[in-house]
Amino acid sequence: MLMKKLIEKLGLTLLICIICICAVSIGIFYINFISDRIYNDSTSHLREIYDQVNRSFGAYVEKNWGLLESWEDYISSDEGAESKIPYFISKEQDYWGFTEFYFMAPDGKCMTLSGNAETMELGVDIDNLMVKKQPIMTSETLSDGQEVTVFAVPSEHKEYNGFGYDAIAISYSNADMSSSLNVEAFSGKARCFVIHNDGSILLSTLTGGNVYENYIVYLDAASDLSDKAVEQIKKDMENGNSGLLQCNIGKVSYCILYQPVGYQDFFLLSAVPQSVLSAGFLSVQKTTSNVIIAISVLIGAAIIVLIIMRSNKLSRKSKTELQYRERMFDVLSNSVDDIFIMLDAQDQNVDYISPNVERLIGIPVEEARSNIKVLIKCAITNDIIIPKEELEAIPLQGSISREYEYMHQSTGERRWYRMTMYHMSIQDVKKYIFVMSDRTHDRQMNQKLQEALTAARSANEAKSNFLSNMSHDIRTPMNAIVGFSVLLEKDADKPEKVREYTRKITASSHHLLSLINDVLDMSKIESGRTSLNVEQFSLPELLEELGIILVPQAKAKKQKFRMLVQGAPPERLIGDKLRLNQILINLLSNAIKYTPDEGRIEFIVQEIPHSSGQYAKLRFAVKDNGIGMSSEFQKKVFAPFSREINSVTNKIQGTGLGMAITKNLVDLMGGIIQVESETGKGTVFTVELTFALPEKEEQAEQLSQKIKRMLIADDEEEICLDIKELMKDTGIEIYYETDGAAAVDTAVRSHNKGEDFDVILLDWKMPKMNGIETAKALRKQLGTGVPILVLTSYDWSDIEKEARLAGINAFMPKPFFVSTFRQAIEPLLSEQKSEPENTAPSDEKVMEGRLFLIAEDNEMNAEILTEVLAMEGVECELAANGQEAVNLFETSEPGHYDIILMDVQMPVMNGYEATRKIRSSSHPEAKTIPIVAMTANTFAEDVRNAMDAGMNGHLAKPIDMEAVKNMVVKLIGTSDKNNSKEGI
Amino acid sequence: MRKKYLFIILLAILVTSCSLSESSQDGTKSVTLTLMGKKSDLDKSYMKSIFQQYEEKTGNKLDIISIEDAEFETEAAERFDKGNVPDIFMHFHNADLDRFDVDSNFYYLNDEKWTADLTDGAKAYCTDSSGRLLGLPFWENSVSGCYYNKTILNDLGLKPATTQTEFDVLCQALADTGYTPICWPANGCSWMIQFGMDPIFADNPELLEKLNKNEITYSDIPEMTNMVQWIANAAEKGWFGNNYPEYGWDEISPVMGQGQAVMTFIWDTWFYTDYSKENKYTIDDFALMPVFMNTAEKGTYEGGNLNMMMANKNSKNIDAVLDFLSFCASEENYNVAFDGISTVNCFKNQTTNIQSDMVTSSERSIKENERVSTASSRIIGYSADEVAEAINSLLHGKVNAEGCVKLMDEYRIAAAAKQGAEGF
Repeated sequence: MLMKKLIEKLGLTLLICIICICAVSIGIFYINFISDRIYNDSTSHLREIYDQVNRSFGAYVEKNWGLLESWEDYISSDEGAESKIPYFISKEQDYWGFTEFYFMAPDGKCMTLSGNAETMELGVDIDNLMVKKQPIMTSETLSDGQEVTVFAVPSEHKEYNGFGYDAIAISYSNADMSSSLNVEAFSGKARCFVIHNDGSILLSTLTGGNVYENYIVYLDAASDLSDKAVEQIKKDMENGNSGLLQCNIGKVSYCILYQPVGYQDFFLLSAVPQSVLSAGFLSVQKTTSNVIIAISVLIGAAIIVLIIMRSNKLSRKSKTELQYRERMFDVLSNSVDDIFIMLDAQDQNVDYISPNVERLIGIPVEEARSNIKVLIKCAITNDIIIPKEELEAIPLQGSISREYEYMHQSTGERRWYRMTMYHMSIQDVKKYIFVMSDRTHDRQMNQKLQEALTAARSANEAKSNFLSNMSHDIRTPMNAIVGFSVLLEKDADKPEKVREYTRKITASSHHLLSLINDVLDMSKIESGRTSLNVEQFSLPELLEELGIILVPQAKAKKQKFRMLVQGAPPERLIGDKLRLNQILINLLSNAIKYTPDEGRIEFIVQEIPHSSGQYAKLRFAVKDNGIGMSSEFQKKVFAPFSREINSVTNKIQGTGLGMAITKNLVDLMGGIIQVESETGKGTVFTVELTFALPEKEEQAEQLSQKIKRMLIADDEEEICLDIKELMKDTGIEIYYETDGAAAVDTAVRSHNKGEDFDVILLDWKMPKMNGIETAKALRKQLGTGVPILVLTSYDWSDIEKEARLAGINAFMPKPFFVSTFRQAIEPLLSEQKSEPENTAPSDEKVMEGRLFLIAEDNEMNAEILTEVLAMEGVECELAANGQEAVNLFETSEPGHYDIILMDVQMPVMNGYEATRKIRSSSHPEAKTIPIVAMTANTFAEDVRNAMDAGMNGHLAKPIDMEAVKNMVVKLIGTSDKNNSKEGI
Repeated sequence: MRKKYLFIILLAILVTSCSLSESSQDGTKSVTLTLMGKKSDLDKSYMKSIFQQYEEKTGNKLDIISIEDAEFETEAAERFDKGNVPDIFMHFHNADLDRFDVDSNFYYLNDEKWTADLTDGAKAYCTDSSGRLLGLPFWENSVSGCYYNKTILNDLGLKPATTQTEFDVLCQALADTGYTPICWPANGCSWMIQFGMDPIFADNPELLEKLNKNEITYSDIPEMTNMVQWIANAAEKGWFGNNYPEYGWDEISPVMGQGQAVMTFIWDTWFYTDYSKENKYTIDDFALMPVFMNTAEKGTYEGGNLNMMMANKNSKNIDAVLDFLSFCASEENYNVAFDGISTVNCFKNQTTNIQSDMVTSSERSIKENERVSTASSRIIGYSADEVAEAINSLLHGKVNAEGCVKLMDEYRIAAAAKQGAEGF
C-alpha cells in the first residue's frame, strides 16, 4: 500500500528517472565496451606495426653487419689489396649511403680510408667486439660533434696503411638512421626509439633532433606511471621481455610499446599518442558516441520537455485552481463578515489576509498584510495580544477562541469579533489560521434578549406585584362592601346606620370601579385597541372642569392649588378632550394624592411656539412639593404596574397603572411627557401636546365695541400681565393693580376724570383687601354703573351671596380666558341674565313620571336599575335582549316610551344592532326616540360605535344615577313630561 | 739686491720646470693623459690595476676624471660641447654615442696591432655599423644565452636542445613533467627580446640599415612576427609557467635556484653577481645552450656589453694615447689586471681570468652561434623597456602578434623621431 502510494506520488518522474538511469548505464557500458575493443584493436595494430618495424630494423642491422662481414672477407682476401680497398669501399658507400668506413683498433681508435683518425668510446661494446668477437651497433659522438650510429664487426688483425686493426666499422648519421625507424602509419606523430635496456637512447625518430637522453627516466618523471610500473618496464628490459602499457604524459595519453630488437640489449620503444593510434577507431567510437549522445540528448530533451510541459501544465492547472480558489475565497470572504488570516508559524508573517479586512476593520489589506500588528491597534480590548507561547501551545489541528471588540478605522464603528485560532500543519509547514467572525449582531441580540428577559422578569414581577396589590386593593373595598352590606341588613331599622353604611358602601364601590376602569384602560392600551375621539373643544372649559373636579380635592387636603395660563394659548382646540382630561386628571390627582396636606400644587398651561399656524403646541406642567420620587423610580415611573414602595405610598390607594396609562395616552396623541423629581422635594410632570386649530371666530371686535377700558386687580402681577396679553387682540385697554386699595384709587381717579372703566376685574384672594372688600369700596365710590367681576379659582357658591351684596356682578373661574370673560360680561352689558345651565339639580326628581324601555340581559342589573329609577319616579319596561327591545318599541304607541336605555352586549341581538333596527323601523318615533347606550365599555371607540349605531348618548356601567339624570335632562328635558315630550 | 731677486726667479723657474717635465722611465719625456669615465666603472679593480701598471711602467700619468654615475652622460656631453674632450673616454657602445660626435672626436683603431688579439665577440661589439673599431674593449665580458639546470634535465632523462625544433620539444617535455620550462620575468625585465632579435639584424645588416633609415619597419620583417608569435605560443602552452607576469628581476634567482623553472635567458656573470648562494641548486647545476626564439634554427648567444676606451684623435698626445691602449691590450698587462676576475675573454690570450664551466663547456656552440648585441645597440630608437611593454601587451591579450610588432614599431619610430634621427 505504502509502495503504491509512493509510486502514485512519484509517478511519471520516477519512471523517467529509472529510464534515464538505464539509458545512461547502457550507454556507459556500450562506450566502455567499444573503448576496450578499440584499445585492444589499437594495441594489436601497434604491435603489428612495430613488429614489422622491429623486423625491418633487425634486417637493416643484419644487412649492415652482413655487408661488413662480406667486405672483411674481401679486404682479407688477396683481392683486397690496400690499393683497391678505397675504391671498393667507396663504391659500396655510394650504394649503401653510410657516412664513413673505419678500421678500428682494439682500443677504439679508428682510421678512415682517407687516413683520418677518430676515437670512439664504445664502452662495453668494445669488449663485445674485440674480445667476444661479436658484431656491435652503437651510437657515437664524433670529435666534430656529429652523432652517428656505428656498425662494427670483428676482423682478423691486419694493417691498413700501417694502422693495425681488429675490426671494421661503418657509420650512419643518426638522422638517416632515424628515418629508417620512422613509422608513417602514425602520421609521424609516434616517437620511436632504439634504446638500451637501461633506457638510454640510441636512436630516435624525432624530427629535427632528440632531446631525450633516457626515455625510461623521462617516463618515470613525466608520466603518470607508478613506480611499480616503471620498475616493471626496467625488469622487462633486463629480461628482454616486451611490454605494452598506457600512460599520460602531460595532457596526452600515450600507448607505450617496447620489445627487444634481438641484438645486444637493444629495445625498440615506441610511444604513440592514443589519439593517433586509435584515430580511426576513435573516429568510429566518437561517431558512435556522438550518435548515442545525440540520441540520449534528444530522448533526454524530449523527456525533459515532456516533464516540463507536464509540470507546467500541472503548475498552470494548480496555479489556475489556486487563483480560482483564492478568487472564490476572496469573493466568499467579501460576502461574509468573517476575516481570514493565515500566519506563518515560524516568522509570524502574513501569508494571507482576506480583502474584506478593509471593509470590516477599515485597514487597507496591503497594510494589514505587511504588518499584522495594525490589527492589534484596532482592538479596543486590551488583551488582544496573544503570547507566542500560547499560540504554540495550541495543539496541531486544534483551536482556541477569543472575543475582541474592534473599532472600524474609517467609521469609528465598534464591532465584536470572535477570533478562532487554528494551528495547522501541511507537509510539516506549520501555520496559524485566524478566523475573525463578526459577532456584533449576536452580541446585540443577546443584549436585547437579556434586556427583554430582564424586562419580562420585571414585568412579570410587576404583574405579580400588581396581582398581589390588586388582590389587596380589590379585596379591601369588596370587604368593605360585603361587610357593610351585612351590617346594613343587621341595622336596617336604624336610619342613621343605614345612611352611614350605604355611604361607605358607595365609596368603596366607586373605588372599586376606578380600579376596574384603570385595569380595563390599561388592558385596552396594551392590546393596542385605544383610539382617539378627535373633536373641537374649549380649553377654558376643560380647565374649568378640571378645576371643578380637582380644586375640591386639594381643598380637602388644605393644599394650595394654582392654575396658571401663561401666554395666550388658543381657547378652541381640536383633539381628544376626554383623553386630555384623563391625562391631566391623572397627573393632578397624583399631585394632590402624593402631596402632603397644606402642600402646594401648580398647574401651568402655556403655549410654546409651533412652526405651523394651523397647530398649537401646549405645555401642561404639574408641579408639586410633595414626596417626590427616587431617581431609580423615575426611570420606571411610566412602566405599568409600578409603584414606588415607601411608607407614604403604602398608605395611598393606587393601581400603579395611572402613569402608564397617561404615558400611553400622551404617546397616542403624539406628545411627550417628562418628569423631574427629587425625593422629599416634589415633582414636575410636563406634557407637551400638539393640537389642530379651528378657524377663528370674529368676536373680539364686538367685545371692544362695548368695552374700552378695563381695570384688573390681582396681587399676582404675573396674572395681570397674562390677562393683558390674552386681551391684547380685543382692543380693550387693560390697567391693573396688585392690590385692592390701589385698584380703588385708580378706578376713583378715572371716575373723577370722567373716564370710568367699563369693567373691573377683581381677584378674590388678595392680601390686605380681598375682592369683596375692594368691590364694596368701589361701589361706594363709583356706584353701581361699572360691572365688577370676581376672578377666582375657588368654588364661589360659599361667597356668592356676600359677593352679590358687595356689588359684584359676576364670577369668573381662573384661569382667565377671553371666552369665559365674554360669557361673563356680555349678559351684564346687555343687562340680560344668562339662562340657568341645563344640568339637573341633584336633589330634584327630574325624571319622575317617565317611561323607560330598558334592554338588559342581566336580570340583576336590570332589577337594580329598575329599582333605582323607580326611586326617581321612573317606570321601566324590560327587554331581555335587543330583539325584544325592538319588538317592544315597534309595537308601542308613539310617545309610549320617553327614552330607551340599551345595553350593548346582549344575546340574540346586541344593542348596536337593535338600535339600528329601531332607527330603521317604521315606528313614527324611530328616528327621534332617545336611545342611550348603557355599557361597561367606556372607551372612546365604544362611545363612537354607539353614536354610529344611532344612539344619542352613552352611560357607563355601573350606572351613576346623577349621570342618568343629566343625560335624561339633556335629551328629553325635565320632569314636565308633557312639555318635555313636546320639546323633543 | 737685483742679484737676489734674479736668483729667486731662476730658482722658481727651475722648480717649476722640474715638476712639469718629469721624464718617463725609458727616459722619454713623461706625459699626463686625461681619462674620463663613470665613477663606478673607474673603480673596478681591473681598471685600477691597469692604470697603476701604466703609470708605474711608463712613468706617464693619468689624470682620471671620475664623474658620478647619475650625472655622467649629461656632464660628459657638456664637457664635449665645451671642447673639453679628454684624451681617453670610457663608454659602452650600446648607448647613444652620437652626442659625443664620434666621427669628429675619436680615432678609429682598426689598424692597431692588438686588434688581432681581440675575441670576435669583443671586436664585433666595439665596431660600428661601418666596420670602424671605436675603442679598446677592456671590461668584464659575458655570454648571454639560455642557461639551464642540467641536473634537472638529467634527472628527467632529457638533454639540451641544439635546434629550435629540439628546444620546442624540450620545452613541451619539461612542461609535461610539471616543470616550468622557461623563467620569463615579464615584469620589468626587457633584455630577453633583444636576444631573439640579434640574429635577425646581425645576420642581415641590410635589414638593420633599412630599418635605421626608416625604409622598412619591423612589420616588414617576417622573422619579427615569427619571434613574437613564438613568444605568444610559448606563453599559451605554459612554457613560462603561470606566474610570469608578476616575475621580475628579483624573482629569477629564487625561481631558478629552487628549480621551479629549468631554463632562463641570462648571462653568465649574473650567476656571480645576482644568483643567491643560498639556492637549492648551485652554479654547478647549470649549463649553457643557445637562446631559441624562433629567429635562428641553431639558436644564438649574445656577446657581452663592453666598456671601451676611445682615443681622442684631436689630442696633442695622440701617440701617447694609442700607446696607452696598446699597453692595456698587452697580454702581460691585461692578464695581471684580470687575474682572478670572472669574465669571458675579451682577448684571446686572456688566461688569468675565471671563465665559468658553463661558458667553457659550450665554447664550440658559442663560437658557432654567438652574435654581437645588435638590436639594442644598433637599432635607432630601440628601447628595451618599450619592446618589453609591447610584448606584455601581447601576453596580456591586448594585441595579437602583428599588433605587437606594430606597437614595437610605433615606439621605435617615435623614439627615433624624438632623437631627430635622419629619415624619421
